[in-house]
Amino acid sequence: MTAFSQLLISGILIGSIYALMSIGLTLVFGVLRVVNFAHGEFLMLAMYGAWGITQVLGLNPYWGLIAIVPAMFLFGAIVHRLIVQPALDKPHLVVVFATMGLSIFMQNVALMAMSADLRDVPPVFAQSVIIGPLYFKAELLLGFVVTLVCTVALQWIIRKTYLGKAIRATVQDGEAAMLMGIPVPHIFLITFAGGSALVGLAACIMLPLFSVFPTVGLNFVLIAFVIVVLGGMGSIEGALLGGICVGVVQSLSGYYIAPAFGQMFFFILFLLVMIFRPNGLLGQKGAANIGMNS
Amino acid sequence: MSFFLRLAIFALSLFTITAGPVAAQEPIRIGVLLPLTGPFAKNGLENWEAMQIARDMINERGGVNGRKIEYLQGDATNPNAAISETERLITREGIKITTGSFASPLAIAVSQAAERNGVFHWETTGAAEIITRRGFKHTFQVGAPARKYGQAAVDFVVEDLAKRLKKPVADLKIALLWENRAFGKSVGDGIRAYVETKKIKLVYDEGYDQFATDMTPIVQKLKDAAPDVLIAISFPNDAILFQRKAKELNLNVAAFVGVSAGYSSPDLRTSIGDMVNGIFVADFPPKVNPNVLKPETRKVADEFYKRYEAKLQRPPAGHAAAGFSAIWALFTEVLPKAKTFQPDELREIALKLDLPEGSLVNGSGIKFTNFDWADDTKDAGQNLRASIGVWQWTKQGNEQVFPPKLATHEAIDVPMPDWNKR
Repeated sequence: MTAFSQLLISGILIGSIYALMSIGLTLVFGVLRVVNFAHGEFLMLAMYGAWGITQVLGLNPYWGLIAIVPAMFLFGAIVHRLIVQPALDKPHLVVVFATMGLSIFMQNVALMAMSADLRDVPPVFAQSVIIGPLYFKAELLLGFVVTLVCTVALQWIIRKTYLGKAIRATVQDGEAAMLMGIPVPHIFLITFAGGSALVGLAACIMLPLFSVFPTVGLNFVLIAFVIVVLGGMGSIEGALLGGICVGVVQSLSGYYIAPAFGQMFFFILFLLVMIFRPNGLLGQKGAANIGMNS
Repeated sequence: MSFFLRLAIFALSLFTITAGPVAAQEPIRIGVLLPLTGPFAKNGLENWEAMQIARDMINERGGVNGRKIEYLQGDATNPNAAISETERLITREGIKITTGSFASPLAIAVSQAAERNGVFHWETTGAAEIITRRGFKHTFQVGAPARKYGQAAVDFVVEDLAKRLKKPVADLKIALLWENRAFGKSVGDGIRAYVETKKIKLVYDEGYDQFATDMTPIVQKLKDAAPDVLIAISFPNDAILFQRKAKELNLNVAAFVGVSAGYSSPDLRTSIGDMVNGIFVADFPPKVNPNVLKPETRKVADEFYKRYEAKLQRPPAGHAAAGFSAIWALFTEVLPKAKTFQPDELREIALKLDLPEGSLVNGSGIKFTNFDWADDTKDAGQNLRASIGVWQWTKQGNEQVFPPKLATHEAIDVPMPDWNKR
């Protein structure tokens, strides 16, 4: 029973970290309806940034948030302006190849600039949090809280603010929104940059947990894609649920079946969801075409 | 006047033209294939430094029978690049001797290209058994084969750790954790077969995906199995994730033995800090007890370590020391006896080598197989006297602890203190 509780809760915690890293991807998909294949490399870049800040200033990586989140917002805006926007009115494959090219480019630049070495930061909290027979890394608990806050805050922005209303209008009918005076290209830009900023946030939370190296994005991007589709493409609370599902399935299958199968079991879960709920757990009908839930 | 001056210059130039080849003989050109870019680059570049030190040292001593050594570099980033770079050096540069290549997949590729072109390949650190089991005639692997890594780990547990843990070997609970790709699996298979011959049962034996992002299930399973000794074969990223998770979930073992790769990388300490202290590593020895070395080898070793540390500000890792040891043996034991430098002649010289352990800087000797080894008659060119042992991460650096004759230090921290006391 102890083992089960440990695995379940650890799975939920690590799953929430996966969710945090996927929210940016689902947001961009929900609004722009493009898939950013360089998402993992955005994460890599932001992790290097946070690592650089801890090295140069000697601060813990959470302080890096103050610089990394705006920096990634700016980076996202530049990528959108130079690569994504020109491809938006072209056939869908153009964006796919453009972002994929960007992904390979970023990996290799990182390899040249940073070499293949693993970079790490020392743990922020020296000891695990112990609850009865269970052990948890404080960094994971903190990540869980940040993910919850982030999901709620994002929901609030989308439901309650003017920007959120404009985003929803753009998703529902871009042309009508434009006629109503909503600057749709700006909304796209802000959403893409915002998604990128969220990756920056995730990177700072993940740095004390994972090493950073040029291909670190590849370890996570597949998980992020699964979570986005599993949760319902464009659904933010769906991403949270999807992330937790992946974390728990990974943790339990590794223990009760075998860790050698790696990602196989959450792909089985993924297939099952796709067969029985093709729009994902919380996605609306036709999510792949419509985007974010209205 | 000007006529005489011209005549003098003409005479002088004639003299230099004819005297040239006599004064400075042609250098011996060797192709060095190492991963200088890409994911293996870090270790490849360290090996390259060690190789350069060897070249400088031999040239300062007057070269090989008066001929200087010259290197031609090939960048063996991956197996495909390794093949094309080897072929480039052979066909365009006319190289007759190649060396390198740090990692097994690269060694397999380089030796294949060399053999196809009838070129002599002197492998320094590749480990896969297959390298010398393809019937090649001109490939010689100076470093230890893969099975020896695991055997060293098991021998250490049986002959040393059991005593320190005050338990009979039969009562010792040993767990084996391996990453499930080529290297981890082949070492894991070797260990499993070897412990069976020692009548030891493993309490846990499982492979895992090297790219796993969560180690919770593995650590939890190990907590259930509660082994005394854990032997793990990992790469750097998963080794770090595993150690952090072990600390988080408070998995304590009396001794931890990592095998090569992830646990021997000098960066492990930069990544996980003092958590490395006490971990044992079965691998090439980075530095052995000087008493086992022949007196002349000891002098060479001293010079190598001094130069390496001066250049890189840290002592060499085991693979760099192995790279130096192997290439130095080529310079001092093989090439001086050659006249034609043709691959067949070099092969004959290599096969005649019979150097006792302690002849090379890292404690190895040399005796190659030639389709005559009792355990596998398909094996040719494998060095049966390559040293491999176990060293330990200590507060100051690392110390060789096994086998006893190579040891610089006694094993400490057995049993390992629990996480909350570290």
